[in-house]
Amino acid sequence: MAFKLNVNGRDVEADVTPDTPLLWVLRDHLGLTGSKYGCGGSYCGACTVHVNGSASRSCQLPVAGLEGQTIATIEALEERHPELVKVWVDNNVAQCGYCQAGQLMSAAALLDGNPKPSDADIDAAMNGNICRCGTYVRIRAAIHEAADQRAAGGNA
Amino acid sequence: MKTIANLSPNLSRRNFLGVSGVFVLGACVPGCSPQPVRQLAPATTFEPNLFLALEPDGTVRVTSHRSEMGQGIRTALAQIVADELDADWSRVQVDQAIGDAKYGDQNTDGSRSILLNYDRLRAAGATARLMLRQAAANHWQVPVAEVEASDHRVMHTPSGRSMGYGDLAGEAAALPVPEDAPLKSTAEHRYIGKDAVHVDAADIVRGKGTFGADFQADNMTTAVIVRCPWLGGGVASIGNEPEGESGLVGIEILDPAPSAGPLFAPLGGVAVIAEDTWTAIRIARSLDIEWTDSPNRSFASDALQNSLREALKRPGTPVPGSEKGDVDAAFANVADGDTALTATYQTPFLAHAPMEPPVAVADVTADRCVVNAPLQDPQSARGLIAQWLGFPPDNVTVTPTLLGGAFGRKSKPDFALEAVELSKRLQRPVRVQWLREDDVRHDYFHAASAQHHRAVIDAEGRPKAWLQRTAFPSITTVFAPQGEMPAEWELEMGFSNLPYGVANRRMESAGVRPGVRVGWLRSVCNIFHGFSANVFADEMATAAGRDPIDHRLAILAEGGKLEVPGMQPPPGHELDIGRMRHVIERVRALAEWDRPRPEGTGLGFAVHHSFRSYVATVLEAAMVNGTPKVSNAYVVLDCGTYINADTCRAQMEGAVVFGLSLALHGEIAMQDGAVVQSNFHDYPMLRMAAAPPTQVELVPAQGRLPAGVGEPGVPPVAPALVNALFAATRTRYRELPIKAA
Repeated sequence: MAFKLNVNGRDVEADVTPDTPLLWVLRDHLGLTGSKYGCGGSYCGACTVHVNGSASRSCQLPVAGLEGQTIATIEALEERHPELVKVWVDNNVAQCGYCQAGQLMSAAALLDGNPKPSDADIDAAMNGNICRCGTYVRIRAAIHEAADQRAAGGNA
Repeated sequence: MKTIANLSPNLSRRNFLGVSGVFVLGACVPGCSPQPVRQLAPATTFEPNLFLALEPDGTVRVTSHRSEMGQGIRTALAQIVADELDADWSRVQVDQAIGDAKYGDQNTDGSRSILLNYDRLRAAGATARLMLRQAAANHWQVPVAEVEASDHRVMHTPSGRSMGYGDLAGEAAALPVPEDAPLKSTAEHRYIGKDAVHVDAADIVRGKGTFGADFQADNMTTAVIVRCPWLGGGVASIGNEPEGESGLVGIEILDPAPSAGPLFAPLGGVAVIAEDTWTAIRIARSLDIEWTDSPNRSFASDALQNSLREALKRPGTPVPGSEKGDVDAAFANVADGDTALTATYQTPFLAHAPMEPPVAVADVTADRCVVNAPLQDPQSARGLIAQWLGFPPDNVTVTPTLLGGAFGRKSKPDFALEAVELSKRLQRPVRVQWLREDDVRHDYFHAASAQHHRAVIDAEGRPKAWLQRTAFPSITTVFAPQGEMPAEWELEMGFSNLPYGVANRRMESAGVRPGVRVGWLRSVCNIFHGFSANVFADEMATAAGRDPIDHRLAILAEGGKLEVPGMQPPPGHELDIGRMRHVIERVRALAEWDRPRPEGTGLGFAVHHSFRSYVATVLEAAMVNGTPKVSNAYVVLDCGTYINADTCRAQMEGAVVFGLSLALHGEIAMQDGAVVQSNFHDYPMLRMAAAPPTQVELVPAQGRLPAGVGEPGVPPVAPALVNALFAATRTRYRELPIKAA
């Protein structure tokens, strides 16, 4: 079946079975490999994307329910959150980097709803994203720094 | 003298030559008098050795022959070359080497990439720098001694002339390669020892880094393999073989590896190959497969743990040369005022669980094989693949992608051989994608273990006699069908090289064959040996009523180099008691050890020497609602000469999280030969809220040999936590993971 999706501002079509999770549509059919497979069970958050602005686990979202929704992936993050991309690089947040697309998408959704998050806000919002390399302390610091930059730049 | 390698020009180089032609630089900077100038050689790539190329446009390409898994090696290797070359860092790019013996060792494990390559990469950069100076000197017809190189330019100060490195590439390429080019002094280093952002960071944050599953091949299919729950079982029958499913390419049966000594061979199973990943997953999950028996079907981790504990009750095999004094007499005659202490420690199997599960893309044709996969050792993988296919190694190309974490798992190329076998059968590119459940259930597991410590201590807590026993299934059991006893190199990981002074001692080990594959996990046997020895030392301090750090400093062996029974480290890498003492003293200061903490909060200390580095760790922890909560971590690392200071700190931060994951959550169990856990819900990892703020201090390099960074931060974490919880609650946890009542 052909499904019409809006991904990163573009209208696209994917010819897949209705139960195909968004993650595999993105990766196998749309060539957007930034979102990662980590567990297939919404435990790890490596596949996190935005659906209508909310951080969502794309491994759990059958494509059939996504027509008419607005989907954003890591490939489009920099357009809306250049400060996140910058602080992540400047602070050497990533180690292996495999989980970082999901981390960044969760961080972006957090900042969209809460421009000045506390440590506890960050811990709560990022709870669904595992990093096996253990970059959590840098992620926490980077989110604070990105929030400060957005506040200073007035683009929040 | 070596000669310049003849370069086979590739397409881009030919294009470049077409545009650039020949450089003729006779022009003079204003104010200088005319000087004789030679015509420059045609622009070409200057490639004086395997690791460095300078393009005519000034781009420096450093070849990383080690695999990147988050430890920043691609960046660190480039820092070394760029420093000695005196290159502009913004013009350095990193190419990934294929697996090829010409690079020497490519096995990216054991925390030794810098140790093995520091000297040769410095020489690579320095040689190129000298040749660029010589090229400029020839061009200007001045003595090379008057020519200096700095920041991507060569200068002749007397005449004020200068040229960019790129403009000299062709000229330098025509020169013989000198030996013994001068190296910079430490004070002259501009990248070595400094912070650098990882070269892959910019791609990673934009979703552009190419990990294993991101590699694309034309006409590629994806395979998901259902493997037998127990090691060595094969396919008896498939009850519901699917037919005519849209997107299904085929079903292939892979024979199991022999159950004894499976090494790196595929486990066998039923491969579902489809045009897309989800179709392969969906069909794989629907299969109803009957498996054949194997001797491993009766394997249970509980029984293995019991047998380890039983083994500790009997004398084991003494570590040759470990016996000093008369430990038995000391135990038989405990003097007044002395105390006998006994404790047994136990740790479970662990899975690596890198965030990227194993995955590999193979393209096998009639006589060629190309593999792209997240492999820690592309060179040995190439050899195994060539052997598997009966191809000459020259016909096999193995390129590592970025590794989405590895921790030792991706040293074992079984998953690449699966892809190779399937591609060979289908004559199409095949990507084998392991699911998380496959990864957790079919790992090369970190060994379960048990240690028994028995000591007689004096009133100050100093050990007069110390008997240590360790028992675990050895990694050698995957290499040899009859292997059972721990190897000397496994014991040298925190057991035979215990750094404490004791007059009467003996070290004994015992092995047992497991019913699963055992493999090395980040810091390997140091995890359990560092755990039990550090907790037992803390118990000695407690028994004597002494401060744990004061006590530890008091029981260290006499200063100088430790004499280790058995394995002898190379000169410069002996266990140096002075360096161990120093990291202990530094972490005491860093943690403000003597500053009182709130009621119910305790500090715990541990120190460990592994991979030729020294790490001392203090954790601040409390029991909060029955759950251990770590509020701060302090780590001091002495790894000798280091390259990227920020990476060293990041590795210690990550090691704290890795260590806390295994201390608080890590446990893999097997019943009826099958792994009980399957995914992150029942094999959990530490999450952000539990990650403590972490302060890291690096001991200055002081010209010492480089040592390991990726692994040595892990061993002290679990014992520091147990010791902190004891300080906080007076409860001693001797088993991992910590199970609070």
